[in-house]
Amino acid sequence: MTLTSCLILAAAVMAIGLYGLVTRKQAVAMLLSVELMANAANMVFAAYGHFRGGPSAQVFVLFALAITVAEVAVGLALVMLLYRRHGDTTVDLASEARQ
Amino acid sequence: MSPSNLAIIATVAPAVAALLLLVVAPLRHKGAPAAWVTLLGSLVSLGSAIMLLLGRVDGGADVRVTTPWIQEGSRAMAEIGVLIDGVSVPMLIIVCLVALCVQLFSVAYMHDEPPRAYGRYFTLHAMFLFSMNIVVVSPNLLQLFAGWELVGLTSYLLIGFYFAKPSAAQAAVKAFWMTKLADMGFLFGLLVLFVATGSFEWTSTPSAQVATWVTALLFVAVIGKSAQFPLHIWLPDAMEGPTPVSALLHAATMVAAGVFLVVRADPLFAQAPETREVMLWVGTVTAVFAAGLALVQKDIKKVLAFSTASQLGYMVAALGAGQAFAGFFHLGTHAFFKALLFLAAGSVIHAVHSNSLEDMGGLRKKMPLTTAAFVIGALSLAGVPGFAGFFSKDLVLGSLEGKGHWIPWTLLMGSAFLTAFYMGRVVIKAFWGNESEKSSHAHESGLAMTGPLMVLAIPSLASGFLGGWLASQVKAEYHVHLGLTPIVASSMAILGIVAAVVVFGRGGKAPFAGVLEKLDTFSLVDRTWASGYRIGLLGIASLAGWIDRYLIDGLMNFTGWATLEGGASARKLQTGLVRDYALMVVVGVVVLVLIGVLR
Repeated sequence: MTLTSCLILAAAVMAIGLYGLVTRKQAVAMLLSVELMANAANMVFAAYGHFRGGPSAQVFVLFALAITVAEVAVGLALVMLLYRRHGDTTVDLASEARQ
Repeated sequence: MSPSNLAIIATVAPAVAALLLLVVAPLRHKGAPAAWVTLLGSLVSLGSAIMLLLGRVDGGADVRVTTPWIQEGSRAMAEIGVLIDGVSVPMLIIVCLVALCVQLFSVAYMHDEPPRAYGRYFTLHAMFLFSMNIVVVSPNLLQLFAGWELVGLTSYLLIGFYFAKPSAAQAAVKAFWMTKLADMGFLFGLLVLFVATGSFEWTSTPSAQVATWVTALLFVAVIGKSAQFPLHIWLPDAMEGPTPVSALLHAATMVAAGVFLVVRADPLFAQAPETREVMLWVGTVTAVFAAGLALVQKDIKKVLAFSTASQLGYMVAALGAGQAFAGFFHLGTHAFFKALLFLAAGSVIHAVHSNSLEDMGGLRKKMPLTTAAFVIGALSLAGVPGFAGFFSKDLVLGSLEGKGHWIPWTLLMGSAFLTAFYMGRVVIKAFWGNESEKSSHAHESGLAMTGPLMVLAIPSLASGFLGGWLASQVKAEYHVHLGLTPIVASSMAILGIVAAVVVFGRGGKAPFAGVLEKLDTFSLVDRTWASGYRIGLLGIASLAGWIDRYLIDGLMNFTGWATLEGGASARKLQTGLVRDYALMVVVGVVVLVLIGVLR
């Protein structure tokens, strides 16, 4: 396993997350896609830390994971509100702000 | 009291009356109190004027009291104040006396008006007297101009007194337009004079060319104000105003302001022989033309209006001949007898409830006092020897005798004949002849109306004998001599009266009446101005309106429209859909990355 193969994997995960973010309508699915993209970035951190640098990069990954959890908490709270308001979690419903 | 204070009181008293009536609305709305306030103001003015006159009879010197006006730094551009001399004091007496008589007459004449209109009428009268006195006492041309515009405004308001009547409203607007058009000449004349000499004094001595320009421009204003050909057309229409207003403004005082201006600015006009030549001809043409039209008018007031234009033509011709004193003297006598004629006509109109000569007739038995007053005025206007008009008209004509002015002299002699002829026609038609349906119910007016007639009849008879005194006041020469002019003039007057008795006594028509009537109804001058108004003024106005509506407004509207449309199309970008925003973020990132890679 080399750095290149790790980076290609990370790019693939990123692309899958991107595709999911753009195509899915369900808020939860979009949130999952965002998580995938965040984890792809974390993988790049970890890969570089493993092959090139010291342990500091992996510490960054731990911090990033903690922050991602907080982000998911906020995202899920939004999904909950959306569900309470419309009885559904399709993000297209949340377009009142356009008026 | 010092003469300057007296002159200031004479000017300010009507202003106080007018202000009081304008500010204290109940006084004005009740009607009768307004009349008292205005009469009191005029009485104070006349009293001050008489005291000034007595001072001059005692040999008082000329007084000029001014304060700086329009200060720029330490230098005043003009002065405001009073000038008391041989021109202003007699004029002040004429204005105040005629104004007081007219206002007294109005108390009875306007009695049937509703109280508010009655109050407004007297407020305007007070304003007018103030404005006219500003003109009379002004020590320079700028203050004279201010008063000149004020009398123009009060004239407009009083012509349009019955503003609910469309013809009166139109006449007021027409008078305003015509005189304002002419007043532009006054304004430009003042500007030229100020630029050339740095002052507004009529005693300044600019170069010959500047003097010609200034006087020519001032004369344009005189043509408008004094109803000279071809700007005379507003004066007959101005008869839409109440008859006392016609007597005071449009016969005795305001229209004479043009003549007064030239008398005042005589030192300037003396430097411009070309302007004087034009004045001589304009005056002569007006005198003859207006006298011809006066012959065929059916409305008694219009006869007098054309007669006023004609007599002002005499004055202007005299001024053009360089005889300012002759013009001034005729102004004075004319003010008295024409005011008398108008007030007597008002008394008749009040009795028969009609302006038309057809509705009058045989009134001499019903209204002896009015008849006597009208006949005195008519004889004076015709220039019958012994009456006031004879002396002044004789002086005007005498000033043209010799000096190569034979053509104007002859024309004005013809006009003198016409004057006697058309006045004979009016007297015979209104007071002799058969009674009409309306005149059979007429009865003599009360003392409030006949009183002013009697007062004005005295100077109409006798003011001609004051010529020598007036000449000494303005330092002019005056000799009564039995020459060619007085003999021809008095025979013209008597011939005119005899001809009128012969022609109209049997109910006949004037010779050439058909031609003159056609000329009157076709009214070429009127039509020319009307088409000038339509094509010139309305053309420019509609062009300006087009530019404003489509070019300027169009630009503004386009800016607004473009902003709205731009906003509306930009709003489509904001779908409100989360997926679209996510896509935009992605696209944005891709673009940024591409930029980074390709650079």
